[in-house]
Amino acid sequence: MTGIRAFVAALAAVALLAFPAAAQKNVVNVYNWSDYIDEAVLKEFEKETGLKVVYDVFDSNELLETKLLAGKSGYDVVVPSATFMSRQIKAGVFRKLDMSLLPNRKHMWDVIQQRVAKYDPGNAYSMNYLWGTTGIGYNEAKIKQRMPNAPVDSWTLVFDPAIISKFADCGIHMLDAPDEMIAAALKHIGEDPASQDPKVIEKALKPLQAIRPHVQKFHSSEYINALANGDICLAVGWSGDIFQAGNRAKEAKKGVEVTYMLPKEGAQMWFDQMAVPADAPHPLNAHRFINYMMKPEVIARSTNVVQYANGNKDSQQFVDKEVLANPSVYPTTEVMARLYTISPLGQKAQRAATSVWTKVKAGK
Amino acid sequence: MQHGLSRFNVVSLTLGIAFLYTPIALLVLFSFNESRLVTVWAGFSTKWYAQLLRNEGLMNAAWVSLQVAFVSSTIATVLGTLAGVVLARFGRFPGRTLFSGLIAAPIVMPEVITGLALLLTFVAISLDRGVLTVIVAHVTFSLCFVAIVVQSRLLAFDRSLEEAAMDLGCPPVRTFLTITLPLIMPAVAAGWLLAFTLSLDDLVIASFTSGPGATTLPMKIYSQVRLGVTPEINAISTIMIGIVAAALAIASLIGKRRMNAERSQ
Amino acid sequence: MRSRLHHRLIAVGKRLGITGRGLAIAVPYAWLAAFFLVPFAIVLKLSFSEVVIAIPPYLPLFEWGEDGSFTVNARLDNYITLFTDDLYWRSYLGSLKIAAISTAVALLIGYPIAYGMSRAPAAWRPVLVVLVILPFWTSFLIRVYALIGILKKEGLLNLALTSLGLIREPLTILNTDIAIYIGIVYSYLPFVVLPIYASLERFDLTLLEAAADLGCRPTRAFWTITLPLSLPGVAAAALLIFIPAVGEFVIPDLLGGSETLMIGKTLWSEFFNNRDWPVASAVAIALLVLLVAPIVYFQRLQAKVAHGERW
Repeated sequence: MTGIRAFVAALAAVALLAFPAAAQKNVVNVYNWSDYIDEAVLKEFEKETGLKVVYDVFDSNELLETKLLAGKSGYDVVVPSATFMSRQIKAGVFRKLDMSLLPNRKHMWDVIQQRVAKYDPGNAYSMNYLWGTTGIGYNEAKIKQRMPNAPVDSWTLVFDPAIISKFADCGIHMLDAPDEMIAAALKHIGEDPASQDPKVIEKALKPLQAIRPHVQKFHSSEYINALANGDICLAVGWSGDIFQAGNRAKEAKKGVEVTYMLPKEGAQMWFDQMAVPADAPHPLNAHRFINYMMKPEVIARSTNVVQYANGNKDSQQFVDKEVLANPSVYPTTEVMARLYTISPLGQKAQRAATSVWTKVKAGK
Repeated sequence: MQHGLSRFNVVSLTLGIAFLYTPIALLVLFSFNESRLVTVWAGFSTKWYAQLLRNEGLMNAAWVSLQVAFVSSTIATVLGTLAGVVLARFGRFPGRTLFSGLIAAPIVMPEVITGLALLLTFVAISLDRGVLTVIVAHVTFSLCFVAIVVQSRLLAFDRSLEEAAMDLGCPPVRTFLTITLPLIMPAVAAGWLLAFTLSLDDLVIASFTSGPGATTLPMKIYSQVRLGVTPEINAISTIMIGIVAAALAIASLIGKRRMNAERSQ
Repeated sequence: MRSRLHHRLIAVGKRLGITGRGLAIAVPYAWLAAFFLVPFAIVLKLSFSEVVIAIPPYLPLFEWGEDGSFTVNARLDNYITLFTDDLYWRSYLGSLKIAAISTAVALLIGYPIAYGMSRAPAAWRPVLVVLVILPFWTSFLIRVYALIGILKKEGLLNLALTSLGLIREPLTILNTDIAIYIGIVYSYLPFVVLPIYASLERFDLTLLEAAADLGCRPTRAFWTITLPLSLPGVAAAALLIFIPAVGEFVIPDLLGGSETLMIGKTLWSEFFNNRDWPVASAVAIALLVLLVAPIVYFQRLQAKVAHGERW
């Protein structure tokens, strides 16, 4: 009998621990991408404001979107990518920011603000956190060995079947992100990468199918480790992830060298934006958090840690020189002009894109 | 008559355990890897254990996961055992077909949809999402696994013992406690273990049904996949295995001592 | 003390008209009704709906107009899509094939393990049970990464095979269907071993001894006595791996190639890439109908057989 009683007591104790008093006032619930901040910043924010930060992380826009669309997510600040955010704004997910609570927005970078306005008209709902590009990561030695004069500054490296086939034996990965890959393919064949016309989107099928036999896998995160380990030699992926793969390879000291390339024809730019859900339990605290993250010396630390550029002009004096001077992180004005953005696809265009993508993936 | 293990038994057990433990051995090995990569060896180091102890987020998530797994598997075992007994022993009752459908359906339902359905339900009844909602979700699908295991064991027995007890005037609840329950105990224990494992491993349903501050270990780990898994996660897995193994060793020692004590009485 | 409490409980129960039998049915029933049937009803409703950009992202099925009119917006489009687009059929079939092969392989590997466990000395058995389940208390993703480390081109398996001289060129296993089979069998092995073990464990060998006394050879005794008696456990094991394997997403995503079609993956992209909750719900409902009906029928049959034996 004592055994059972002890067991019940243990159960009760665990239950008590598991459900602490739920709603508190001096809290801000933040939902950001994983490994996307200098965590010490959170402690400093708590010290300065007396608010407690509940900091959760996610790994995909899709999961964040599901929680937001179901409603009452409980979060005060979320950081969706701009393409997703644009549709979420239409769905009524967010509340308009109260600009009087955000004096630090004077530090923001006008170039980035203008680009983001395509997704968030008038920058009414969101402030930029970090931004980057979608380009190509490759293993220097293996590419050079197979093709000494490989066009390592151009999309032809992956979209010309005659060239990409040379690297098939050492492993090629591509993002499992239909909108981005189709946009890149459209750009390569000279179509509008931002097209909403299902007929134009279907034109991406041919160039993608032509290179499909040489691609080992379409996946949006596996390539980081695979590049770092030297298991693959070429990947279409996100800038910061490929830098991470490069750093990881350096740490392993196995002689693998990973380089990120921003193709000269132009590449897609993406933005991760801080926004406040309409049903946020602590909207005032949310504004205080966003305003704090817009301090130039604070946001610069995020950039230094994760090596993505930020949308805060005045922060650049606090950004590590190495990072600021890297044209793949902060592109030159000339390259910047060739970077493009895509608008979120409507339901018809989205179906066309998914159908193209399923055909591409299945046809090996 | 030869009791115990034949050569065939020994070989199949050894091979089976080797199959199960090869990846685990690798996992433990790489928790001591010098490099950050979990698939390439670069020298011995214990730095990931040191780093793990400083990683508050990961430790918190592990704690949340253990709580959820313990509470949900216990509730699921009670409910699932009842359901298994009902299915195997109660014959016909109104709503029986629906009941057996309800036991099978949560296993069939793809996790994404189970997660979404529960999420929408919790939103509809305005239940704040957190640890509690994850527990409810885990109980719901793991109780079905328990029920199926218990039911299969009961079906393998005929009812002669239970019927004899009832014929001798033993009330049904008493019969259940003194005869049926000991008979199905191995299945109940197996069911609890499966339920605990299911809960500890679940990523998709927990992601849908949790709220601010309730991050389970799989959620935490998955969120790090983008930037690659670090050996810290191998380290936490190694510690988990170590703790369970130690707990078992102690439990079996105590059990043995008690058995000896009982025997000497 | 237990019996006093027990008597009091029974007395209270009788006054309220509750029997132990009724309670045993009602408690799990109520739980499943609240947390499965209600959510299921929501999904069913969703599957007849249509996507919109709003919170929630689908049209309400029933609408009360301000003038008191009532309209039902049920649409069958989502189910028609399932029948007309061959993607779904091919995904269902692909899933069934992969689940069936994995189940067969897992039973072939799992049965001897469970059998060995049940024949081991009684003191070892709990230890063996824990040994089987222990690997699964590490994180799932970590185990999958360990499998990747074994299966990849420069991985352990290829290294072992080439150094033994069995193969010359390293095999490509990762990102193929074979990797999916290995992944599923590995991940679900305890779900196969434990139910079979639970049904085998009760033979205290007296039956087999009797058989041996009557001159029955051990292998013969296995086929004629042990195996038939353990069949309910085998059936449970098959259910516990086959059903989840059909809807599996993470294993084919991480270990399999991009061209493998499985319903779990198709549903995932329908839900997350197309953001089409209604179609995704319809896919799930169809899967449920396809699988639950045969299972319920099978269980009825099993119950009938059990009854038959009894009389």
